[in-house]
Amino acid sequence: MDGLTNLIVKIGRSVGGVVGTLYQAGRDTVDTVIRNVIPFMAFISFIIGLILTTGIGDWIAKALKGSASSLGGLLLISIICAIPILSPLLGPGAVIAQIVGTLLGVEIGKGNIPAQYSLPALFAINPQVGCDFIPVGLALGEAEPETVEIGVPAVLFSRLITGPLAVVIAYFASFGLYTASK
Amino acid sequence: MTVSGLVALAAGVTVDKPTGFLGALATAAEDFIKVFNKGGSVLLSLMGGILPTLIVLLTAVNALVRLIGAEKIENLGKAAARPGIQWYPVRYIVLPFVSVFMLTNPMAYTMGRFLPERLKPAFYDSAVSFVHPILGIFPHANPGELFVYVGIATGIQQLGYGLGDLAVRYLLVGLVVIFIRGIVTEAITAKMMSRAEKAA
Repeated sequence: MDGLTNLIVKIGRSVGGVVGTLYQAGRDTVDTVIRNVIPFMAFISFIIGLILTTGIGDWIAKALKGSASSLGGLLLISIICAIPILSPLLGPGAVIAQIVGTLLGVEIGKGNIPAQYSLPALFAINPQVGCDFIPVGLALGEAEPETVEIGVPAVLFSRLITGPLAVVIAYFASFGLYTASK
Repeated sequence: MTVSGLVALAAGVTVDKPTGFLGALATAAEDFIKVFNKGGSVLLSLMGGILPTLIVLLTAVNALVRLIGAEKIENLGKAAARPGIQWYPVRYIVLPFVSVFMLTNPMAYTMGRFLPERLKPAFYDSAVSFVHPILGIFPHANPGELFVYVGIATGIQQLGYGLGDLAVRYLLVGLVVIFIRGIVTEAITAKMMSRAEKAA
């Protein structure tokens, strides 16, 4: 009889644990969505509204169409974003990358930029990822102050090489992407 | 009555377009509210489109990560610290992927503590470069910066194409890029460290 009781208690506990975990996961998710995702959606929606209803859109379209629909233009964007002085300024919260990404998305949706360029563009607008966060990120990895001193410029210089390189790789990886149906 | 209700009502009645000073004001007011009407409909399509899926997906993956337990990946961190060329893919592909997936941004970078000092910048570079390519398939890793991917993906969706192809390629190219980034940054760090030692 004791064994049976133990079994029931055991099952009850593990089921309770799983349900509790799922519930907590849901709570965390809603928390993140309300605190991080929806505010950004509101902000992005305003920007899209502004772009679509005013003349700003045409102006941006002209500027982006030239640079974002050729490999050379995308490389230029990535090199500018990877300049060691600019990259930490462009990094915080990935706000710049998110806005430029949304602008490009609008232009891709309108057909001004070929859909195939979406993949290299994702890398072209983002060589600065995390460049603002290097000292904190290294500190999270329990790095010594000497490592941080060398690590910050090392990562920034590395981006000058790997930023444009990523665009080239993505460009070649984008062959056959959204082109067959045209 | 809502703004859109008023607009709909106004559309039913034909009056002459307002002219003069007041007319200009009225046109300006309409143009002003048009921006926010458009923004509002974009917001609604985002909230109705990706948000429900996102919430369910985030809940499932968050639960999975909790059930597995983040501490399980510590052994992988220790393995990645080993010298030798065969451990490069572990250090700059597997470890960043697993850390970003399990620990998410920004706690993923804490996995650097298992690596020797000279490899920490390279691991950080590799891991931080993966917090966006993972978003196409596993948005739980960095929901606050979703629009790096979703911004462009929305355009693809408007064209009527599926997003799977883009999401998978973004992830795969991301893995290749973080591998290269890790190797390049490791080499640059090594060079700068030896130069600093000589100067000291």
